[in-house]
Amino acid sequence: MKVAFPHMGNAYIPLRALVEHAGAEAVVPERPNRATLELGARYAPEFVCLPFKITLGDCINALEKGADTMAMVCGMWACRFGNYGHVQHLILRDMGYEFESLLIGREDPRAVWEKVKSAVGKGAFRRLLGAAAIFRAKAAAVEEVECLVRFARPREEKVGEADALMERYLSRIDDADSIRMVRAIRRELREEFSALPLRPEDGILRVRIVGELYVLLEPSLNFDLVRRLGSNHGVEAQPILSTYRWLLSPLWLDPLLHLSSSRARRVSRAYLPYVLGGEEHMTIAGTLDAPRQGFDGVIHAYPLTCMPENICRTILPHISSARDVPVLGLCFDEHTSTVGTATRLEAFIDMLRSRR
Amino acid sequence: MNVVRERVSEGRPRIGMPRALMFYRYYPFLKALLEGFGCEVVASPPTNLRIMGMGTDLCVDDVCVAVKALFGHVRYLEGKVDYMLIPRLVSVEKKEYDTFTCPKLIAAPDMVRFSFPQLPPPLEFVVDVSKVPWWWGCLRLGRRLGVPLRGIARAYAAATREQRRFEALQREGLLPADALKRMENGNGLPSPGYASADRDVTVAVVGHPYLLGDSLVNKRLIHWLDSSGARVLASTMLSPRELEVEARKLPDLSWSYEWELLAASSHFLEKEGVDGLIYLTSFGCGPDSLVTEMVRREVPNPHKRAIMDLVLDEHSAESGVRTRAEAFVDLLRHRKTARPPGVLTR
Repeated sequence: MKVAFPHMGNAYIPLRALVEHAGAEAVVPERPNRATLELGARYAPEFVCLPFKITLGDCINALEKGADTMAMVCGMWACRFGNYGHVQHLILRDMGYEFESLLIGREDPRAVWEKVKSAVGKGAFRRLLGAAAIFRAKAAAVEEVECLVRFARPREEKVGEADALMERYLSRIDDADSIRMVRAIRRELREEFSALPLRPEDGILRVRIVGELYVLLEPSLNFDLVRRLGSNHGVEAQPILSTYRWLLSPLWLDPLLHLSSSRARRVSRAYLPYVLGGEEHMTIAGTLDAPRQGFDGVIHAYPLTCMPENICRTILPHISSARDVPVLGLCFDEHTSTVGTATRLEAFIDMLRSRR
Repeated sequence: MNVVRERVSEGRPRIGMPRALMFYRYYPFLKALLEGFGCEVVASPPTNLRIMGMGTDLCVDDVCVAVKALFGHVRYLEGKVDYMLIPRLVSVEKKEYDTFTCPKLIAAPDMVRFSFPQLPPPLEFVVDVSKVPWWWGCLRLGRRLGVPLRGIARAYAAATREQRRFEALQREGLLPADALKRMENGNGLPSPGYASADRDVTVAVVGHPYLLGDSLVNKRLIHWLDSSGARVLASTMLSPRELEVEARKLPDLSWSYEWELLAASSHFLEKEGVDGLIYLTSFGCGPDSLVTEMVRREVPNPHKRAIMDLVLDEHSAESGVRTRAEAFVDLLRHRKTARPPGVLTR
């Protein structure tokens, strides 16, 4: 069984570990780029949201690399994401590819379990437990690298050092094959990052990024927003969502995540009393909390026609003026240009500087 | 909280109903309900260019054209009424899995509330059938308007009767806008041309009631089909029972209204006497972007009927829709005559 899953930021590292330790082979397509997006957009429906197109491109790449089982998270939500897997697999089958579907969350859990058991063989349950443990360890390690590099980028003496460190450590985490090794890597990583020469703090701007999960986490879609803000503009950018958060919260492996998201739901209830199925509660709560948590501004990033975030966009101007926090809305689709985004970011950062 | 006491104007409270979105599905019900509550109901006029323009100006740019129309209608009613009633449809049916309507229908009152801060917050009519029964929303609305329980029950019964009448008119082959007209003006109106059975070509149009009902949004599609000599059947004319039959052929879908469209497509692709299908959708409609794919790729099409997707937005031109409608009817007519008689499916 060669299992493939679409990319999302650095999620491939823990997911690969999960699949391989469970006893199957993982097929990881190349990191998505413009070509992947164009490939996906060619076969996707015209005005579906952007993550659909890029993950469809990923699926095609994975199938070309020989995957025979396509895994995707699905669900019965008001947001379109719940139906991605179903429609993507329809399109891929019509294109002539043959594969098994593993629609986690949509199919009967027992059916998914039977599929896994037949592929893994004896002792499937124990192997899965072990796989989940290393999955969690790697997800936490990736999260730590991302946090450290986000902090270091605007402060480092020589631009690009932190990114080089991150690349090196991410590939080491990816190669590690036991929890003990991951722990050792994390220790080394902390030492190396604390040894990084940093400039003294002199009023570094802090920006929170809220919005749709995939656009927030996938650098190929948001033109590497977080790195660009850190390295080019000297701004500390903190996305409100992370790979770790997304991977672990449905599995109940970290209770803190549940606390924070139920708090977000509570805070945003005055604005959106009903669940819309996306990350709208995080967007609203993140913007509301931004001034209190020391952020100078908020960037709202989302793909064109994203339903929950569109609704947030009608509400954010209200919060922006009530809480006196500047909000920049960035809408991404396959025609968004690097230069256009860069100009708007520059203008926003200039505005934040002059406000200080 | 009793809103009636907070009101400034004298007399019966005037409640505005924007003619957009769920207006085309539940107006007779809500009108009868509110009138039973002792309110005066003011509906905005059918969408015109000015209303559409105001909506486009006020609304964020990448939502569907129907939501923009809603904003235009709210703007139109601003100052003419005491309160605005915006239904909030969270879920409209009970199934073994969670069901929803579109996120924009769930959050429509919120979008209006924060985009029009100068207005009093809109009255809500909440429908969340998966959690509470349908009458619960009526009860809450009635209590908010300060109506005693007995009055609410009476108004509810009258409203249900009106809604049944409205739905029966639609089953007879009237589109939402014409059924509404018939309800207002009695049965004296002549039957519209598109409903006559003696046409040589029959086109099924599948789409949301707010697209089928709003002739400015759909650029008079029905009129153009009618004038090219086609009989028009629409997804709004089907009864829940007819749709339920299709369920086993179709995948589960958490959006109730889109599931209806999927079932309607399946029904029309198999029904005797239908020649082609037009799937009417608006640009930026989230659920429809996936459901159109399902209609093309998953719904069985045993007679190989022609399907046309028609995507509408506020920039659509009447001539464009007209050309496409005429070409589609010509194509269907041609397919019908060009086939050797033995191959004909009927």
